[in-house]
Amino acid sequence: MRTFVTIISKPLSAQESGFFMLVLLSKSKQIKAKEGVWLKRKQMLLLMLVISTVALSACNNKTGDSSPSSSVESSASATATASGTSEASEAADPFGKYDQAITINIGKAVDPSDKSLPAGDTPENNEYTRYIKENLNIDTKIAWTAANGNDYDQKVNLSIASNSLPDALVVNDTQLRQMVKAGMLEDLTQTFNDYASPLMKELNDKTEGRALQTATFDGKLYGIPGISVQADGVHTMWIRKDWLDKLGLEVPKTLDDLEKVAKAFVEQDPDGNGKKDTFGISGPQSGGQLYATFLTQTNNTFGFDPIFSSLHSYPGYWLKDANGQPAYGSIQPETKEALAKLRDFYSKGLVDPEMSVRKDATEPVVAGKSGIFFGPWWMGYWPLPDAIKNDPKANWQSYTLPLDANGRFNAHMPSTTHNWVVVRKGYEHPEVPVKMLNLLVRDEGPKFSSSTVNIANYPLRVVQAAVDESEFSAQALRDVLAGTKQPSDYANLTEYKLLKNDLENIKKVKLEPYDKLDLDGWNPSADLGAWSRLYSLMVGVPYYTGDYDKVYSLIYSQTKTMESRWANLKKLEDETFLKIIMGASPLDDFDKFVADWKKQGGDLVTQEVAEAVQQ
Amino acid sequence: MRNRAFVKHYYLMLIPGFAWLILFSIVPMFGIVIAFEDFNPTRGFFRSEWIGLDNFEYLFLMNDSKTIFINTIVIAVGKIVSNLIVPLTFALLLNELRVTVLKRWIQTIVYMPHFLSWVILSGILLDVFSHNGPVNGVLAIFGINPIIFFAKPGLFPFLIIGSDTWKEFGFNTIIYLAALAGINPALYEAAAIDGAGRFKRLVHVTLPGISTTIVLLAVLSLGNVLNAGFDQIFNLYNPIVYSTGDVIDTWVYRTGLLNLQYGLATAAGLLKSVISFVLIVVSYTLASKFANYRIF
Repeated sequence: MRTFVTIISKPLSAQESGFFMLVLLSKSKQIKAKEGVWLKRKQMLLLMLVISTVALSACNNKTGDSSPSSSVESSASATATASGTSEASEAADPFGKYDQAITINIGKAVDPSDKSLPAGDTPENNEYTRYIKENLNIDTKIAWTAANGNDYDQKVNLSIASNSLPDALVVNDTQLRQMVKAGMLEDLTQTFNDYASPLMKELNDKTEGRALQTATFDGKLYGIPGISVQADGVHTMWIRKDWLDKLGLEVPKTLDDLEKVAKAFVEQDPDGNGKKDTFGISGPQSGGQLYATFLTQTNNTFGFDPIFSSLHSYPGYWLKDANGQPAYGSIQPETKEALAKLRDFYSKGLVDPEMSVRKDATEPVVAGKSGIFFGPWWMGYWPLPDAIKNDPKANWQSYTLPLDANGRFNAHMPSTTHNWVVVRKGYEHPEVPVKMLNLLVRDEGPKFSSSTVNIANYPLRVVQAAVDESEFSAQALRDVLAGTKQPSDYANLTEYKLLKNDLENIKKVKLEPYDKLDLDGWNPSADLGAWSRLYSLMVGVPYYTGDYDKVYSLIYSQTKTMESRWANLKKLEDETFLKIIMGASPLDDFDKFVADWKKQGGDLVTQEVAEAVQQ
Repeated sequence: MRNRAFVKHYYLMLIPGFAWLILFSIVPMFGIVIAFEDFNPTRGFFRSEWIGLDNFEYLFLMNDSKTIFINTIVIAVGKIVSNLIVPLTFALLLNELRVTVLKRWIQTIVYMPHFLSWVILSGILLDVFSHNGPVNGVLAIFGINPIIFFAKPGLFPFLIIGSDTWKEFGFNTIIYLAALAGINPALYEAAAIDGAGRFKRLVHVTLPGISTTIVLLAVLSLGNVLNAGFDQIFNLYNPIVYSTGDVIDTWVYRTGLLNLQYGLATAAGLLKSVISFVLIVVSYTLASKFANYRIF
């Protein structure tokens, strides 16, 4: 019998070990009873040993827990004096090189598929970190790395929960709020004023102060905001133009056209392999989003954003209702209508049958099984290079479609900022991350863009771009190709960091005729990196003239009640909508969802949004 | 005197186990206070704001709570039952096999999946049950339209229980085979001489011979009734199957680690531990009563 117990206790969990201990104690009881009193002393000894170990570890735990916070406090006061003196001795120079090397510990997101680092180089020691060392005399040490995306977020969350932050790191909205609330961050107001370079300040000014506002709490700046191009939040329809041509179809203008085309893509064998193995419209992958929301407004690949907005439905966004009151887009009747449409598409087999279950939604796009997907402008970087590698005729084109009943294209618009560089409270040199970003912003265009090493290896990188960079570049490229403007006309516009390069590269990858954007008018093999960017800019930004209706959310951050309730409300929403679309629940579950949503905190949240908007 | 030295030896051997237990099970228990606090990491356990039972109140208010408790119990009980019956049946069948080489081969092959992690197995399963996967390929032969298995809330618990059984039954079979090997062959010979066929021998010799093992394993697994298997479900689920597939552990993970609601997540975890503790005590009582299970 004993052998069995050891066998099964091995693969089992902590609870089992609790059980094991229980059994042990009862065993001792038996020994005591059986073998007489003289054993008792020994047993007491053992028991005391156990108890004292527990007590000891508890004490350790206590001291271990309180010491970091006390040391934080003491070092915080130390910094106050230290920075006071250093400011006095050295005038704030955004690009000043330190006399003595300064070390900064950072947390770093690493792209596991990134193979651009030459042998011997690491995320900690590469072209960019050496450049920083050379120019600023700053040593970047990596405290920990995690794969970008969920893994990184988790790692940051763990660092917050255990109160063991590196000196600086990049965080998202929820994390920023949590850290400010917990008082973990250094006030960067003065640092930013003194050390941000003129160019960085100009990029911030371009957003009319909205970017800095996102990181300002009670008048204090707690993070350096990244500034994304607004095109990241505009999602368009990408379609296989070669399939359309082959089947003799027009680019679908309305939702009804879209249905017809998708149907043809399913039934008329557009890839010509004799098998019915294609589908019309790609859907999100497992864990992906059906639409971008007011908290994550950008880069929603393979969602259905344009389908929703063509029906004037903006799920996940806060809008004004007919009475001018804030209302949540997901609970509006238009959203029900859009869900009904998508449900209809799905049941007819027009949408990827494995949407939301599939681990990688790019797979059918790359493999040439999907004919339509929705995404932002930069699809030329990913997944299209793989798609054209697999099929050099995969002519993916992007359109501001489908149109609404009035013939207009609607797009929900993003906030300027989605991530922030934050500095641990008490870090002696809060200006170090600012200087590193100064260097990045200044040299990203002229110096780094020709490098083969992925720019993501730059430590503490957040994108700081001019908000209208994509649209402006798309227009400039057309003007230069048409010969109406010269590259030299743009020489002074330093805020468009990559434009100079783009204009130099365009004729390398774009073939004549210059106004024809189909894939056969390009030469990707001349320079795939340049092609990715330029194809994205010229094909992926079809709205560069700005002729579309922009819809902004009333707020782009959480209110107080959302901090505790939003995750559950969002879960309810995601689950209900997916089930409705995929036919696992009836469409009328939507009404039940609306009632539940309001009851479980939605009404309260709506009220708070109204208050926030009034302020 | 000899006996005394023997006992000392035993206690020495306990030390690593105890160290492990204290470090990983006893010390982290102080974290339980988070369930009663509005936890703030910089303030730590001792200075975060005390909010009493607020977290538990909200926990009981939420529709989710009921769902995750029910799901957890359904999936865990399903796994317990099927992990008892399938390996037992398989062990009995294997035991009747007379070709030793074949027997060993089968034994080895069926317990291979036990050594693979769910991260790998989930990838395999998702492919096998995918739209163009082999399972749908077979269904197509019978004219059945492809089914997206992992998007069907009704099927999800069965897939979870089934795949867990598939992964673990080989390993559990070994326990039964060990028990079967312990039955005195003389009993079989005697039964054979008395004219008992294979089936009669199975019913009257084999089953009584391993009945204590069966009861023991059944009773011990009770302590696991709230462990539905985090890594398996986490790697296989998606929002569509939350209604039948979201369990306490996955919910705690999302709430605590992804949404930073430490208090709420800890409250749910604590509730689970309390219930599990009661079940462990019950299972120990039952074990000593029915299986005469006193390890020492």
